[in-house]
Amino acid sequence: MPLTRRKFLRVGGSTAALLATVGCDQWPRELRVLYQPAKPGGPFQPPATAEIDAVTHVLNRAAFGARPGDYERVRQLADTPELAAAAYLEQQLRPENIEDERAEFAVRRFETLSVPLGELFEYQEELLHNELMRATLARAVLSERQLFEVMVQFWSDHFNIDPSKGDCKWLKVADDREVIRKHALGRFPDMLRASALSPAMLWYLDGRVNRRANMAEKPNENYARELLELHTLGVHGGYSQKDVMEVARCLTGWTVRSTNQKPYFEIGKVEFKIHQHDCGAKEVLGELVPAIPGNLNKAERERRGKAELDRVLEIVTRHPSTAKHIATKLCERFIADETPAGAVEVVARAFSRSEGDVRATLRALFQTEEFQQQRGNKFKRPFNFIASALRATDARTDSGIEIIDYLRRMGHAPFNYPTPDGYPEPAAPWLGTLLWRWNFALALGENRIKGTKVDFEGLLKNSGGDDGLMAHLLGRQPSAEETQAYHDSGAGLALLLASPAFQRC
Amino acid sequence: MSEVQSFLNGNGDERRALVVVFLRGGADGLNLVAPLEDDGYHRSRPRIALGKQEAVPLDGFYGLNPLLKPLETAYRDGALAIVHAAGSEDNTRSHFEAQDLMEHGGITGGGWLGRFLRAQNRTASGPLAAVALGKAIPECLRGAPAATVLQSLDDFSMGENRSRLTQALAKLYGMQTDVLAGAGRDTLEALQRVEQLRKSPYHPAHGADYGRDDFSRGLLQIARLIKSRVGLQAASVDLGGWDSHFSQGTLMDPLMVRLARGLSAFYQDLGAEMQTTTVVVMTEFGRRVEENSAFGTDHGRGSVMFVLGGGIHGGRVLGKWPGLSREILEGPGDLPVTTNYRNVLAPILQRHGAGEKLGQVFPDFSLEPLPLYG
Repeated sequence: MPLTRRKFLRVGGSTAALLATVGCDQWPRELRVLYQPAKPGGPFQPPATAEIDAVTHVLNRAAFGARPGDYERVRQLADTPELAAAAYLEQQLRPENIEDERAEFAVRRFETLSVPLGELFEYQEELLHNELMRATLARAVLSERQLFEVMVQFWSDHFNIDPSKGDCKWLKVADDREVIRKHALGRFPDMLRASALSPAMLWYLDGRVNRRANMAEKPNENYARELLELHTLGVHGGYSQKDVMEVARCLTGWTVRSTNQKPYFEIGKVEFKIHQHDCGAKEVLGELVPAIPGNLNKAERERRGKAELDRVLEIVTRHPSTAKHIATKLCERFIADETPAGAVEVVARAFSRSEGDVRATLRALFQTEEFQQQRGNKFKRPFNFIASALRATDARTDSGIEIIDYLRRMGHAPFNYPTPDGYPEPAAPWLGTLLWRWNFALALGENRIKGTKVDFEGLLKNSGGDDGLMAHLLGRQPSAEETQAYHDSGAGLALLLASPAFQRC
Repeated sequence: MSEVQSFLNGNGDERRALVVVFLRGGADGLNLVAPLEDDGYHRSRPRIALGKQEAVPLDGFYGLNPLLKPLETAYRDGALAIVHAAGSEDNTRSHFEAQDLMEHGGITGGGWLGRFLRAQNRTASGPLAAVALGKAIPECLRGAPAATVLQSLDDFSMGENRSRLTQALAKLYGMQTDVLAGAGRDTLEALQRVEQLRKSPYHPAHGADYGRDDFSRGLLQIARLIKSRVGLQAASVDLGGWDSHFSQGTLMDPLMVRLARGLSAFYQDLGAEMQTTTVVVMTEFGRRVEENSAFGTDHGRGSVMFVLGGGIHGGRVLGKWPGLSREILEGPGDLPVTTNYRNVLAPILQRHGAGEKLGQVFPDFSLEPLPLYG
């Protein structure tokens, strides 16, 4: 029996029971209506437990923190916090089923996000960069597809591109759209291929000048090295300098039309030039890539030359080190700075078995005991701190440059990291940012940030007074000391946002 | 005390501060420190060369531009070393490319200072470990853990009348049992020290006389931070405008006055603290040896670097002088680079605790550190 939206809504209260009996994989598609977008403004129930429960945990880790009412909404998904958390994660793993009008509406004003690749060059680079940063923050704050946005951030770091290099100023916008956002919860091999042929990546890691028209020419190894070291196998993944060289040779001939080339309308177009391709035999990680005979016709040589890219990507994606590398990074992001070996192994296996299916991999991660047990042990990076503060306070914000400036000060504005390794995930490099966090907490609490407004009275009332507000922001009941500090501080909201507990997730 | 590293409570002498001064625009090393005894110099610059009489004699071969005379004291004290024909391998003669390469430390991501600080701060980093005086973080600090841009100390504050809040925060952070305890304590401590600084008028020590320009003011702020032990490890300040294509004197003279005044005031002001401080002055490239028709000089290659600080075996002009004969000059007639800037920075970073991480700071380069300290 097909379940209509209306019919399903009528089932109402029995949904929790239904969820508890149906395995995650068999949930009907119509379950999406369970996740109603937040209705700001009404009274809500904050967490009542002394410690962070499973629901708050997933809102901290798989989302950019809880908005007013999120806890209650998720908690009602099932009988126990654990089942409710699992149900929430399962919804989040299917962002295509989640309506996201508010975020979509909010980013609609950033016109450049949807400008086709070839037209991006008509815009000023500063506008492009600002809109991309602002949209990223707006989505983190407003989107209902929180896990998706978390993964967008994860992959943006993994496939980091610093837009300040060459044509990346323009091309990163397309990379964000066509590589990162398109595949964030898709299949890793697809994302890797999209990244390898992304005009921005061809610029950023010099793939565009990797050519060998004659034997005297030396291929540019930059992309090949980072492909192995950062994007796939990892630095100790078992490849040699020779492998780097051989991968570079396989990728010779790929290039992208740049702004100083004519015709103007084909800027950013990715091309393969067989005469700049090294047609000799290569050996990548022990696998032979045969030579392309010179007596074949041009079309055939071109086809084989291009195919070497896919061959290389296939070899590196199914290498066990890649599964381990991605698993380690995911565990670092979702579990702990010191990645637990057991969980890494489980996640790596899921990655390998699913051939790099990001959802299957995350599902395995979320089911590990390590993920479920290690709560509140991560230090929010500055972006996550700001996004979670805006969410927790239900701030109305234009995610403007004033807020981006706070991120710049803390060294964590989106798309401002120079090296291909992306912003670091562990706590250590971010510990010097506390003062700017406290200043932000104060400015937000006192409504001093232009373009951003917090309705403190409403928030206080809806959360049920001081105790409720504390529980909402801390994700649990406050300790005696926290309560004391809240009242002593003379700036309760700022104190909570600046508190140690709010820096953790 | 917890196992957490503290940035402020330790022995202050263990803290070393590195100050990077970047002369943007390509400063003419031949006009800053002239090779007086090289005839090629006078032949190439019939109208703008420094006369042997006007320059401040240094070692019988080189002479300091008279406008840099305030630096003579440090040079005679042995605290200032000069490296001539220094620069990078970049030969594009493009400001952007050359600055980029020099600040990044190669064709690589992040700045050399940023990588140095990251390598230093594997465990944690203090709130004022890296400071850029000015409006933006320079490329050399890119990738540093939380580099702070300050125009003045007022930027490092929580505002007026926040003692109740900071006390409440102190209590909560004090109760933590992990890295947050140390981070909170360091931040509060740094805040308090900067607060005290802001309240009390600053009197430079030993009669140091800073100028009122941005460069001097930047150095003054850095001196205050160093003296108040807020955990400063690296600071950067720029002095721009050296692109002297025409009427070189009009352009360079006021800049040299500012450079010399700022550095000498800083040197005087810090006094004994100079022992744990190093100032390095660098520029992206030097200028063409031959003057052009407009009494200026065009983009060239080698220039000079200045290193001022503790432990240096100064009072010398280091680096191999290649000579200025036509077959020696590079490309369109430029002073070749005989000392790569990395080889000047390497011994400094060693002194500042780089240890075996030096290779990470300057990847893909085989270092031959200049004997600055011995």
